Amino acid sequence: MRRTATAELGRYLLQGRLSTRGCLKISQRAVCRQSSLRTSLAGASRSLQTASTSQPAGPPIVPLRKQWRDEAKQAKKHGKGKAKKDSQTVDGWELTVGIEVHAQLNTSKKLFSPAVTSFNDDPNSHVALFDVAMPGSQPLFQNEVLIPALRAALALNCDIQKTSRFDRKHYFWWDQPSGYQITQYYESFAKNGQITLLARDGIAPQDGDSVTIGIQKVQLEQDTAKTLAQSDDTQLLDFNRVGVPLIEIITEPQMHYPRTAAVLVRKIQMLLNTVDACVSGMETGGLRADVNVSVRRQGDPNTPLGTRTEIKNLSTIKAVEDAIIAERDRQIRELEAGGTIAGETRGWAVGSTETRRLRGKEGEVDYRYMPDPDLAPVVIGEDLVQHLRQTLAVSPDMELDKLIAEFGLTAKDAVSLLNLDNGARVQYFYRVLNGLETMLQANAGGEEMPVLKSYAGVVGNWTIHELGRLTTSKAGPFSQVELDFTPGGECAQVPDAELSQLLYQLYTKRITGKVAKELLMGLYLGDLDAGILETIESRDLWFQELSTEEYNVQIDTVLEGEERVLHELVKADVFPQRKLMFLIGKMIRSGPTERIDPATAEQLLRTRIAELRAGA
Amino acid sequence: MSTGTTSPAEILAKPTWSVRSLLSSPSNDAAKDDKITPKQLHHLLKLSALPLPKTPEEEYSMIATLQSQLHFVRAVQRVDTRGVKPLHAIRDETDQGTQEETITLDKMKGLLEEEVQVGYYKRPKRVKTKVESEAEDWDALATASRKRGRFFVVQGKKAGEAA
Repeated sequence: MRRTATAELGRYLLQGRLSTRGCLKISQRAVCRQSSLRTSLAGASRSLQTASTSQPAGPPIVPLRKQWRDEAKQAKKHGKGKAKKDSQTVDGWELTVGIEVHAQLNTSKKLFSPAVTSFNDDPNSHVALFDVAMPGSQPLFQNEVLIPALRAALALNCDIQKTSRFDRKHYFWWDQPSGYQITQYYESFAKNGQITLLARDGIAPQDGDSVTIGIQKVQLEQDTAKTLAQSDDTQLLDFNRVGVPLIEIITEPQMHYPRTAAVLVRKIQMLLNTVDACVSGMETGGLRADVNVSVRRQGDPNTPLGTRTEIKNLSTIKAVEDAIIAERDRQIRELEAGGTIAGETRGWAVGSTETRRLRGKEGEVDYRYMPDPDLAPVVIGEDLVQHLRQTLAVSPDMELDKLIAEFGLTAKDAVSLLNLDNGARVQYFYRVLNGLETMLQANAGGEEMPVLKSYAGVVGNWTIHELGRLTTSKAGPFSQVELDFTPGGECAQVPDAELSQLLYQLYTKRITGKVAKELLMGLYLGDLDAGILETIESRDLWFQELSTEEYNVQIDTVLEGEERVLHELVKADVFPQRKLMFLIGKMIRSGPTERIDPATAEQLLRTRIAELRAGA
Repeated sequence: MSTGTTSPAEILAKPTWSVRSLLSSPSNDAAKDDKITPKQLHHLLKLSALPLPKTPEEEYSMIATLQSQLHFVRAVQRVDTRGVKPLHAIRDETDQGTQEETITLDKMKGLLEEEVQVGYYKRPKRVKTKVESEAEDWDALATASRKRGRFFVVQGKKAGEAA
């Protein structure tokens, strides 16, 4: 909504005077509105029925609060979408993005030496002779590497090559002791895969429901050392990381929107984590993305792709999107000013607005790729590939589909559930659901069980939202305690068995929602001496619902003073839902609150009104 | 070819090829545009992280040596190798040899059995245990000329670009 000046607002609210500047039919409208406002302010009634009391002759007046609400709705529908859409596309230009992801494989040993992989151990404590290129040392391929590597390639739907070879990529830098990196430039172990991104993953809206990106190849390669820059122009080197196995995943240049590219990186990270191929994420430096960006004018699809620039070593998902947008804008600016794009390597720092040049043209760096003569080709047995393909972990997409279709969660809820606590929260959800199911089965005996979607929905809502509310609630110093989940889904603060019990009581309407939330808070804070069931028993928190006669007594009491509202409910053509809600609210407030179930109350009230309508 | 007219001694008397043809000389020197320029030499030295020549004589002698080496390489390159795959290393590439090298399920069974099944969908996960390795039993810092604590020290460039 447009903001109005404070003086004008004050004049309007306190004195009922509207500025008539710019109005066409000022006189009559202003008078009507002023009078209606005065009566409403004088009455200070909580109901908004100004129009009904002061209805002078003249043009029909829309109650002001309703008008504000409608305007806000309109603004939300039209106004908000614009800002985000603008950053994904630029008129007249087409963006093309290709991504190279480098991810550390989950192994105990390095790629070409039996030294141990580690994270933050003592510097230079896991270094073999070959890792520091001691003259005379030879590489020794560690078979263990193939398990996570093949799983990653299979998760990306690649064709596994029976024979693959290693090549040397030569360049000199202090983090590469041998002067070359061993990689698989010519014959990688996997190629021609694909990954599908869906709308629920958060791709750019311009990409529609889904987009499939091809994976050109997946190759094995070595990692480099860790360097710590010091203030006196020296570097401290830790060679623990040299030789740790990486896979490089190279996609086809088929992405056209920055958001989609960022989502691709996030989805690859999640996929690799699920199949246990790469378990250290971007935050710990276990996964890095290099992005290739080029632009060309829209129109003829046969025009060749523009010169591409490479942005190296992006370390967060947001950085991927921001860097692509900045680089695209820079390239468009250059081309529109009549210049050309040089094929260079650029860098991005978090928080900056433009990429900066790191290195010159591609031709300046000659890697002199050469087959490594010290290493034998890797020959992968077909039986190993088959076994890994059959025992490949259930993909996050399949899990999401099941959560949405079978358990009835919304797409948004299901996605957040999978992402919370690094996959532990969803395991907790399954445990609670299992516990609740067992209790409901025991209760049902031989009869029919309630619908899965109905109670799975309750479990989902409580696991995602109510638990989340615990840690962010304004409970003072107690809200600092985080919820700890084991990878198997056990929680120390809110045991899944207790939550199952709580939800069982809630679902079967033996306790109210309000009581359930308080019990959850108590359980989390450790205030409950015994379990949930014992606490309900000892403090007598059972929901003793009113009987139908008692309800009717309450309805009578409520309807006593509300003749006007009753008149509306009985006479109006379109059933006014808000007035019904008002009555229910009044009933809950005035009567014995903890014994009223709003759903039953609504039902009985509707029946009473139906009777009156039939009678009137 | 008649065996009567020429004797082996006559055939072998005149050499048809001399190893001297593999050495460059003013007579078989490369054409003007094939010569190595100082710029190319400097580029190659930079790629190999070798020091640039200090005097013009040194540069001239480097280029001459490189030129004669290239002459030899070109002679080798003149051999017709159509349809022949480049040799990377001499290994046992017979079927039996390849079979011995193949990484089969049997070889990986031990590692796969050490994994655990986690969660509702029983996804396989590697168990991270403390592993000792003999390959690490040496002092990596013993040969370092400069060190600071447990780190190696490298002098960085003041205003440099990455390689």
